[in-house]
Amino acid sequence: MKRRYRLAVVATALASFAGGVWLLTTFNTRSEGPLASLLERMGSAVGSLEHRLRGGAGRGERSQRLRWLEPYRRDASRLRHPQELLLGAYDGGIPATLEGIERLEQTLGTTLPLIQFYTAWGDKPDQQFPLVMVNAIANLGSIPVITWEPWLSDFESSRHPHIALRDVRESHGMASVARGDYDFYVDAWAQAASRFPHPLLLRFGHEMNDAYRYPWGPQNNTKEEYIAAWRHVVERFRLAQADNVIWVWSPHVAYQYWEQYYPGSAYVDWVATGVLNFGPIAQWSKWWTFAEIFGTKYPELARFGKPIMIAEFGSLAVGGDRTAWYTAALAALRTKYPAVASLLFFNVAEDQTVTYQKVDWTFLADSILTRAVATGIRELTHPPSAPR
Amino acid sequence: MAENAELWRHRRARAVRIRDRLVLSALGGLGAVSLIRLADWWFRPAHVGQPILFVALSLAFWYGMSRIVLGWINYAAITRPMDRAAPSGLSVAIFTTSAPGEPLAMFEKTLAACARIRYPHRTYLLDDTRDPRYRDVADRHSAKWVELAGIPGAKAGKINRALELTTEDYILVLDPDHLPFPEMLERVLGHFADSTVGFVQVAQAYYNQERSFTARGAAEQTYAFYGPGQMGLQGHGAAVAIGANCTFRRSALTSIGGHGVGLAEDLVTAIRLHGAGWRSVYLPEVVSRGLVPEDLGSFYKQQLKWSRGVYEVVFAELPRLFGRLRWRQRLSYLTIGTYYGFGITMPIFLLFPYLYLWAGIQPAAMRFGEFVGYAAPVGVIGVAIYLYVQRWLADPARERGLHWRGLMLKMASWPVYLAGSVLAVVRAEIPYIPTAKEAVRGRFLRLCWPQLAQVGVYAVTLGWIVYRRLWRTAEGALALSSEAVWGMVFFATLPVLLSGGAIYAAWQARTPAAGGPWDVVDPDSLGGSVS
Repeated sequence: MKRRYRLAVVATALASFAGGVWLLTTFNTRSEGPLASLLERMGSAVGSLEHRLRGGAGRGERSQRLRWLEPYRRDASRLRHPQELLLGAYDGGIPATLEGIERLEQTLGTTLPLIQFYTAWGDKPDQQFPLVMVNAIANLGSIPVITWEPWLSDFESSRHPHIALRDVRESHGMASVARGDYDFYVDAWAQAASRFPHPLLLRFGHEMNDAYRYPWGPQNNTKEEYIAAWRHVVERFRLAQADNVIWVWSPHVAYQYWEQYYPGSAYVDWVATGVLNFGPIAQWSKWWTFAEIFGTKYPELARFGKPIMIAEFGSLAVGGDRTAWYTAALAALRTKYPAVASLLFFNVAEDQTVTYQKVDWTFLADSILTRAVATGIRELTHPPSAPR
Repeated sequence: MAENAELWRHRRARAVRIRDRLVLSALGGLGAVSLIRLADWWFRPAHVGQPILFVALSLAFWYGMSRIVLGWINYAAITRPMDRAAPSGLSVAIFTTSAPGEPLAMFEKTLAACARIRYPHRTYLLDDTRDPRYRDVADRHSAKWVELAGIPGAKAGKINRALELTTEDYILVLDPDHLPFPEMLERVLGHFADSTVGFVQVAQAYYNQERSFTARGAAEQTYAFYGPGQMGLQGHGAAVAIGANCTFRRSALTSIGGHGVGLAEDLVTAIRLHGAGWRSVYLPEVVSRGLVPEDLGSFYKQQLKWSRGVYEVVFAELPRLFGRLRWRQRLSYLTIGTYYGFGITMPIFLLFPYLYLWAGIQPAAMRFGEFVGYAAPVGVIGVAIYLYVQRWLADPARERGLHWRGLMLKMASWPVYLAGSVLAVVRAEIPYIPTAKEAVRGRFLRLCWPQLAQVGVYAVTLGWIVYRRLWRTAEGALALSSEAVWGMVFFATLPVLLSGGAIYAAWQARTPAAGGPWDVVDPDSLGGSVS
């Protein structure tokens, strides 16, 4: 008898251990589990409460300065046809802090209506809908621009047995997105986005025509597969009634055939591209003017009849006159490129996404340049975001 | 007395059923998974903030977790010994001691209760008061008075001297504040039929725990130990002697050269007996009731004595006897001997939130919400097991609960435990003073200045944080730091809330309850079955 009981006790402990493992892994598959998302919501609510208290104490100046943006923050359809040029930036301090955005604003004498950040697909907590970040940006009075990167390899095979194994997943990965293999992720994201009470600009799968960079590029996918994936994702968002999401299609215009990746007017709200002058730092680059990088492609971009965003805007210092570069670019935007509705500075000090060495896109230390840029954007954005 | 009659009945913890063991195993299995999940998350490279502080925090945190696991391992062996009827004709002595300053009236009751113990025995009062009135009390209750003044080694020294002067085969060592019930020896003596049993310990219960916050808290700290705690030790073959209410076999004590001496004389005696191959029996039964410290100052003195003394098990006894103990006994003694490490880890938990809030130094780069998500299951299962094993409390009707007063007193005692730990490491001696039997008037500030200082630092910090975040911090920096800052404020808040108990207890200590708790006890109404 005694031995039988002992066996029963051991068996119960083992079974409960196994049951616990099963429970936990099951929870984990459903993105992050109900507790984690509850805590995320609580954390975000504390942040919002703090901002409201601060506003009550008369210290919410930033959102006060952006009061003119309210019509856009209330109505996504208005943001599909903006009447003003909307400035913005991405800062290298994100996601830890938005202090860098504030420093940039102070130096340039403006308050940026758009704040951009990057987030990837995947299983990890920081790869779910970035609730804390979008709420923080909203509390500051701005509108978030999210560059949303479909890194399919960041999903664990063990949690998602129905998708292809990791080492073969990226080959025709966009086709599997289009088939709905990743709807578990897309739908959760879409639902969370639909609950966000303001519009947000979503720049999904950018630079899809560059075969040397991201796995969603032509080395793994056909144009048709990319377009199908785009349309499928947009449709999932529409099903979730995430009508506050503005779709930003963003090819790399230095590589050819980019226009063939256009998912269609019904699926795109904005078109975008990056304008980054690398100067002579790499074999493939030289000092290009803004007109050479962007001006030559503008007519084709404008032909889509959508607002245009320059999603990454900047020049390195080496190889030419940076002040002249920015001055000319801002002046040309005022006169030559009326379809450009948004310009996002790329304020990153240690960027090595393209090159193997770190490059510095920031310019705040150069006071002659910052004065020139401040003047340029003041003339560009009159009257709304003009003098603070 | 009448309304308290139930307090004085003989009670025992319930038997352990198979169903109980299955539930415990299931909870233990779930707990193990939760802990592994927490550990897997905790020790991720990305979580290391300031490396040295991360090590310190990990040590403190996992010390706490290891206490929980050791508790679970202990509960896995919960056992209640079978009843054994006492044979007639054993020769039994009761030793109780009196020291200068101990209240005479208490001895009236104690010796009267001893005289009412049914099993034939002889009571000895080992007296070093040099006060003739104590001899009179002994005479009145037909106890044998033995003058043992000026003997070194405090209580244990007197016991050892008395062993030389007496011949009885079995000796019940009874603390003088304990009032034994008539059935006490009948319950105990049968277990000596097994000739390898060296001592039989019974539960300690109290009759003054309602007299103050301190008394209640101090009692709460012991409830689990005298129920499921010692029952687990019993199952692991390591039930320990607890100074009072322990009956020894004379030949067992002689085999180790007499009762151990020192601050942890009881534990030292127990581990030596186990090392010499004697077995021990723990009976989770209330067959006497005694006193807990009623005022905070006496409580701290008692805790200092214990925390200094218990380390001797780890530093002096365990290394020496290691080879002679079974591994489950080694683990059990290691568990007991390191209990007061809490005094070292607590300051780390107290300090670290302020390090972040004032200087921005972050030992661990963890998200608060994530931490809660991983730690909560361990906490829930820990509480579930704690509550489940309460079915084995010796007196569940009075002892069940969350024991928050005990937790508050434990939190408040960390400076005392820290002192005990440090004194043990540097091998500094502190004198053996019997714990006060009567409440002592205490000075409020002297008793709780550490807690008041803690509340003060907390209030200033909170004010500064609110001011800083409403008026000083840049908006861009505010936006994404809410979770981290308010998470740390949460960690700073918990101990402040818990320190409220000590402040209240110190306030109460200004006006101790009048009269001895023994005044209202009628020795004729002790014991008997539950009605």
